Amino acid sequence: MTFKCTGCGAEVTVNTESAMTARCHWCRHVFGVNEQVANGAVPDAVLPFHIKKDDAVARIRQFVDKRRLFALKAFKEQFTPENVVGVYLPYMIVDGNASATVAGKGEIKTREYTRGTDNNKKTYYDADIYEVQRHVDFTVDDLPLESSTERGNLDVRVNTNNIINTILPFDTKNAVKWNASYLSGFTSEKRNSNVEHLQPRLEDQLLSIARAQVEASVRRYDRGVRWEQEKLDVHGTRWVSMYLPVWLYSYHQPGGSGGGLLHYIAVNGRTGETMGSVPVQQWKLLLAALTVGTILEGIAIMILAGSS
Amino acid sequence: MSDDGGLWLLAAGPAGATALYWALYRFYRNTDKSHGFERETKVEATPVTGSESDTKIDENNGTQQTRIDGDNVGAYRKRVQRIRDESS
Repeated sequence: MTFKCTGCGAEVTVNTESAMTARCHWCRHVFGVNEQVANGAVPDAVLPFHIKKDDAVARIRQFVDKRRLFALKAFKEQFTPENVVGVYLPYMIVDGNASATVAGKGEIKTREYTRGTDNNKKTYYDADIYEVQRHVDFTVDDLPLESSTERGNLDVRVNTNNIINTILPFDTKNAVKWNASYLSGFTSEKRNSNVEHLQPRLEDQLLSIARAQVEASVRRYDRGVRWEQEKLDVHGTRWVSMYLPVWLYSYHQPGGSGGGLLHYIAVNGRTGETMGSVPVQQWKLLLAALTVGTILEGIAIMILAGSS
Repeated sequence: MSDDGGLWLLAAGPAGATALYWALYRFYRNTDKSHGFERETKVEATPVTGSESDTKIDENNGTQQTRIDGDNVGAYRKRVQRIRDESS
């Protein structure tokens, strides 16, 4: 995208795939893309970084220090947390008003007894089966959804985006009106999913929330409840597109058919919550497991030999 | 000691090895972690209704299971049959 520099009038091109700010080549004036971008790439709001880089580096170092013994050798050798990057990631922050109804069966234990002789005792239970239905109306406040299709893919077999998902939530109430100058010194990713794309994910999460809400009301079913049907009515939603601040350290583990795996260690740029994926040295892990397994098996055989 | 008690002990080695492997793997890779939005999102809910119409429909006597078959009361994210309005 090409802009006219507000400082000197020169024409400057900004690649909005990767950056939302640019420096004019002529007058060094830094300017942002504020209102100019089509297809909604400019967010409504931004939550500025609060955790400083030094703090993020310390947290990542502490996280990895607890996980050194079985870590991949190459990862440990190349570990340079100073290379952490501050990234603004695109989210949709959703408020919603919904009703949910769930239906299923619940069981209450009425009797417990044992049958059989000394050597072959078995415990039996009698239970009453109830038909159970629950309804709840609720509102959710500031539910964050990844609004980049790549980041929204949380399949742990092919990526480690679940790491970034785990450091949610953010104090989104403190977000400020979007201004591209917040991006200077940081990188950012672009939003590419809209409300329509995210609706199924929102409904899935609202149903999960509803199920969590009704749990306390079925405590009397001491043998549990099997929910069989669920229904959701979304009465209204409000969507705000927001950039959230994340410190991201990454390590690319080579190999595999899919071209390896990118491991992230992420620090929430507001709360400092840290989560990460540290690649493991498979043979070390297997060796440890086999050693412990062998010792346990040895003890088991000793007990058996002693008792017979 | 009973016969099946002995067989059970022999499983200790493989079971222990597998358990340790997965526990360590998860500690390093955190593949089981995600945002606990059910608990961490601010939710305001009206009191849950429906408990007054729970009705006993059957009995399940003489079972050896400690929980109901298919118990999913704590598995919030496991979707079950979705009922939709016919109009929509």
